[in-house]
Amino acid sequence: MTRARVAAALCAILTALLLQGALIGPWTMPVPVSLPAVLVAAVALMDGPGSGMAFGFSIGLIADLGSDHPAGVLALSWLGVGLVCGLAADRNSVRRDAATAAVVCAVASVFTGLVLVAVHADGADLRHSVEWALPVGLGDALLALAVVPAVRAFLRSSSLRAPHPGFELSTGARRG
Amino acid sequence: MRRLTRRQRTAAIVLAALAMCFITLDLGGGGLAGAHSGVRGAFGSLYRGTDSVLGPVRRFVQGVPTAGSNEATIQKLRHENETLRGHLAQATSEHRTARELARLHALADTGRYKIMPATVQAVGSGGGFDWTASLDVGTADGVLVGQSVTDGYGLVGRVLHADSYSCVVLLAADTSSGVGARDLRTRQIGLVSGKGTSGLSFAPLNPNAAVRVGDKLATGPAGTSSYVPGLSIGTVTAVTRGPQGSTAVVRPTVSPTSLDTVGVILLGGHRESGRTPIDPSALAGGR
Repeated sequence: MTRARVAAALCAILTALLLQGALIGPWTMPVPVSLPAVLVAAVALMDGPGSGMAFGFSIGLIADLGSDHPAGVLALSWLGVGLVCGLAADRNSVRRDAATAAVVCAVASVFTGLVLVAVHADGADLRHSVEWALPVGLGDALLALAVVPAVRAFLRSSSLRAPHPGFELSTGARRG
Repeated sequence: MRRLTRRQRTAAIVLAALAMCFITLDLGGGGLAGAHSGVRGAFGSLYRGTDSVLGPVRRFVQGVPTAGSNEATIQKLRHENETLRGHLAQATSEHRTARELARLHALADTGRYKIMPATVQAVGSGGGFDWTASLDVGTADGVLVGQSVTDGYGLVGRVLHADSYSCVVLLAADTSSGVGARDLRTRQIGLVSGKGTSGLSFAPLNPNAAVRVGDKLATGPAGTSSYVPGLSIGTVTAVTRGPQGSTAVVRPTVSPTSLDTVGVILLGGHRESGRTPIDPSALAGGR
């Protein structure tokens, strides 16, 4: 994990949460379309399950701490998004990745509703979570069509590309 | 489909367990309350800071779906607003009229005379005088020439001419108007003359009368004035002493330029005399 990737991740987390609160949330109300979840899915679809889980857990925990429900709910949910999308990462087309992100985020939205109902969070309603699953999926798909190409472009740049394990050339002294 | 390495599997389990711990900790006793408030405060500041940029964009997009219907609502609200402003102005005018009528009523009770309320319809020159007012009451209402007109506080003037349903009042401010008055402090009697917009002047009959600034004047006692006695005329604001005696400048109680609802005191007065025919024998030189 390079310093550039850590800094980029922090900036992405901050931007996604601000845009979600200031624009996406008010525009799409009452449908709970989630830009941070789509971002986690896009990162995982590009970089694999390791980056996806770490990014999903981090952004989920920060979102939890900034909300009224118990911390850990979104962290667990978006950890799952990063894990599942990371396993499905296979250099697919943008549309296929957007569809994958939309389906996984919609399922994660229902899962989050279930956990919130289980912990008796204020305003949690499993029926609404299930009813809104399809609109959430459509909204996330539209977001993903914009977010996936952007994330791919960023993560392909030389400064943010995931470091691969290097081959160590043995340069030991010759015998004899 | 990728597969998880052992490290990734371990990391997934650890992070899931950590998330469950956080949930339990937060549900159990508010151990993360400080963290919650810190992050909320930080994001609150950031939201406020970005709202100046993102707010207009958000509100524009939110307003697009209802833009057409909003126009009709705006027009309807504008119309309602104008109607309500009209009602408010009318209510204000009616309150003022009610207060003026209450004053006239109080004066009628105090003086034990009948007062006919009237509305001033015009103020201007007429009948050879500069300061007159037209009222919407006349002989059909019991109004007679010479009767005093008041606004409930003070003297307005006297009826100069009365038709069936309207009358003309000579205002006290007219330069040709003369009102028998009494200084309420010294009880001295004098004459108040109108000076148009400059107010009134008071000349006591007794040249040695000591008129002072602040003295209040009222219409004179019966016999000395054709007006109903006791109506406030004004207050002395300046006194000049000359060889002929004192002359005082008087600020009138009633402003002649702000008359609205007044009352004609139905006391005294006379009908207007009709025209008399010309005697033909006088014209013909006694034929």
